[in-house]
Amino acid sequence: MTTTTSPGTDTQPSVPGGVDAAIRHGDHPLSRFGDTLMGVFVKLVLLGAVNGLGVLMIVRIVGLDGPWWGVATVAVTTLLLDGIYLGKRKLPLKYLIPGTIFLLIFQVFPFVYTFYIAFTNYGLGQILTQDQAIERIERVSIRTLPDAPRYGAVPFADGDDVALLLTSPDDEVFLGTPDDGLLPLAELDVTEVDGRIVAVDGYERLSLGAAQDRIDAFTALRIPVEEGEIELVSLSAATMREQTRFYDPDTGLLTDELTGAVYAPSDRGRFVNVEDPADTLSPGWRVVVGTENFVRAFTNEAIRGPFARVLVWTYAFAFLSTFGTFALGLLLAITMNDARLKGRRIYRLAMIVPYALPTFMTALIWRGMMNRSFGVINEMIGVAVPWLNDPNWARFSVVLVNLWFGFPYMFLISTAALQSIPSDLYEAASVDGASGWQRFRKITLPLLLIATAPVLVSTFAFNFNNFNVIYLLTGGNPPIAGAATPAGHTDILITYTYRIAFESGGGQDYGMGATIAVLTFVLVAAMAALSFRWIRPLEEINE
Amino acid sequence: MSTVPTRTGTPVTDATAPRGGEPPVWVRPVRWTQQVGWRYLVVAAALFFALFPAVWVISAAFNPTGSIAAQRLIPDPISTVNFEVLFETHFWRWFGNSMIVAGVTAVGSVFLCALAAYVYSRMRFHGRRTSLLALLLLQMLPQFLAIIAIFLLMIGLGRFFPEIGLNTLAGLIAIYLGGALGLNTWLMKGFFDTIPHDLDESAKIDGASHVQVFFTMILPLAAPILAVITLLSFIVAINDFIVQSVLLTDERQFTLAVGLYRFIAEDYGARWGPFTAGALLAGVPIVLLFLFLQRYLTSGLIQGAVKG
Repeated sequence: MTTTTSPGTDTQPSVPGGVDAAIRHGDHPLSRFGDTLMGVFVKLVLLGAVNGLGVLMIVRIVGLDGPWWGVATVAVTTLLLDGIYLGKRKLPLKYLIPGTIFLLIFQVFPFVYTFYIAFTNYGLGQILTQDQAIERIERVSIRTLPDAPRYGAVPFADGDDVALLLTSPDDEVFLGTPDDGLLPLAELDVTEVDGRIVAVDGYERLSLGAAQDRIDAFTALRIPVEEGEIELVSLSAATMREQTRFYDPDTGLLTDELTGAVYAPSDRGRFVNVEDPADTLSPGWRVVVGTENFVRAFTNEAIRGPFARVLVWTYAFAFLSTFGTFALGLLLAITMNDARLKGRRIYRLAMIVPYALPTFMTALIWRGMMNRSFGVINEMIGVAVPWLNDPNWARFSVVLVNLWFGFPYMFLISTAALQSIPSDLYEAASVDGASGWQRFRKITLPLLLIATAPVLVSTFAFNFNNFNVIYLLTGGNPPIAGAATPAGHTDILITYTYRIAFESGGGQDYGMGATIAVLTFVLVAAMAALSFRWIRPLEEINE
Repeated sequence: MSTVPTRTGTPVTDATAPRGGEPPVWVRPVRWTQQVGWRYLVVAAALFFALFPAVWVISAAFNPTGSIAAQRLIPDPISTVNFEVLFETHFWRWFGNSMIVAGVTAVGSVFLCALAAYVYSRMRFHGRRTSLLALLLLQMLPQFLAIIAIFLLMIGLGRFFPEIGLNTLAGLIAIYLGGALGLNTWLMKGFFDTIPHDLDESAKIDGASHVQVFFTMILPLAAPILAVITLLSFIVAINDFIVQSVLLTDERQFTLAVGLYRFIAEDYGARWGPFTAGALLAGVPIVLLFLFLQRYLTSGLIQGAVKG
């Protein structure tokens, strides 16, 4: 574009200008070739690594009987990467892809997946897929039947591996191992001394005392056989345990051979006894339940009530935090914005302390300081304020602590914004006879608000989802009475979501948690859309 | 940083000085109180508010009683017993884990972010405006809103790739890198925009490839913004509690946030002393980093980064 030095570049000695550039403009074949060769080499090594990784991932997925679409995704992604980076075109993509891959897998996909979960009954007892649930039900149905065959057993061991020499009721002898099941003795390498079998296939016979020392390993030993397993009942006897429930893939029904009951899969993700709807089998599996979670959130009184409270408090908390920190930060910025104040640099540095300390830590420290019985605040004032235990005090406390966390940032912003207001505005106002308050109202505040509007919006959005302060200070407590989900008086939407999904009190309801998360998405996205017009960088896009 | 307001106007209050001649001497103390004196009162109150918790933690850390009750401001005697109790836990392991996670996340984020910012600043292509706006929207929707899906995703991934599944630092880092683009890309693009285009144009005429321009010209010139994004990413990663608490269940894989939380939440009364000792040590690297990068940070923050 230019071969002459422009005013913007003359501070950069590395940039050639004028004649210099004109000379070098002519191709410099050697240097060009060298650079390109190096570049090609690095590119090929990196691409080779990516392809190697892709192959390894595919091998792993196939080896573990993974889903075909997993293999397809890896293969297609790898080929696409090859195409993009080997091709000459699509230059911007080459730079955008590394960050975008992480963004797609760990942010965009989880968002989409959250929407899906919100329409399912995913949660405690409904975590597995149907196939996994059937496998589990069949496994736990293995039990000792009254007429189960008994085996004579002799303990053997090979290093840490234990095994049993088993004699069946019809006097056939096997070696039983947890990995290979029953192996007929005739096929194995057997060592006998005085008619006693002392070693089989590397396993050596243990004395009763030696076996007793490893009793845990022997009690845990399960030798798989067709339709069941063999386990020890004493150190010399074993018994067969048999599977009692069977799934028939053709009919889709599950039969209990002990009781004769037949179970059919329900649309709620459970096997239900066809004759007795109250009789269901655990575990269940996850199924799509449509808008049920949303309906529950808005109609079930035990959910709707707490949810509405949490929602209102989320807005209140974000609003109070944002404007509280802004007011305090601005007050301090104005206070310290006077040359006659001595030691301003030190004060400013000290104001940053709450900002510089990790919040997870200081939130927990405030929690200790606000402890009703032995916290330092109550002790200092000599009172017993229930800072974190009473609903109203707890709300006050989280806002107060968040004020502590947030004001340094607003202080920094306000200080910078104050200093950017042209002083001739004030001089003109003084000439016109404006009072100090009038100058603040008519000049400082409006200009400051314009400059800090984007910051206020993003701070509001941040506090809307300020998990750390709420969760670490109060855990959302004190609890709301009569709530069907874990909900507290200081809970905001994000802590509410977390508690529904991960705190056992609510039965780990991922579906409901995701539903609250989806509603939060919608609220935040609406807020974002409204605020977009205020955010200045938008105007720079079209440069 | 062209958009940073740097013009230093006369301090606001200078304009409030009374006009006209010097007032009589006896008025001065009154006027001083009205105009300057009250500022010291406000500053004193603010200092107390800002510093009290920090001062109190330092005091608690060296208090031998170790319980939350019976703590005095100046411990007597000063003791390191809390640190000894703390070191019986996996504290240093947690500390190391946090440094690894936050360190790798910070460096990785800056790199991914710089790559994206470079094309947004220097190239015009189809979808540029849309994708920039999408990044801004994604920034408003924090990653951890999808915490349930992230948790289930990591269980699923962990079945095939336990190296990045639950209970791994690599998994944690991968998740954080998912949030690398976003507002940070905007910040960095804004800075790259201020580096004169003539520089890379003439370098290209000189035969430099776009990769060379990026690594040898843009990155060195953008050092201040790289420092800011490094610090911000580091802080975000070390402060995160929600993802770490869901992903990490093995005590040896804990980070500082999860480890110290579990440690203190089990017994607030008796473990207070050791906890404050841990909090004190945990704060050191961040405060150091903060002091080190402070001058970059103030200007970077004003461009709109968020924390608290």
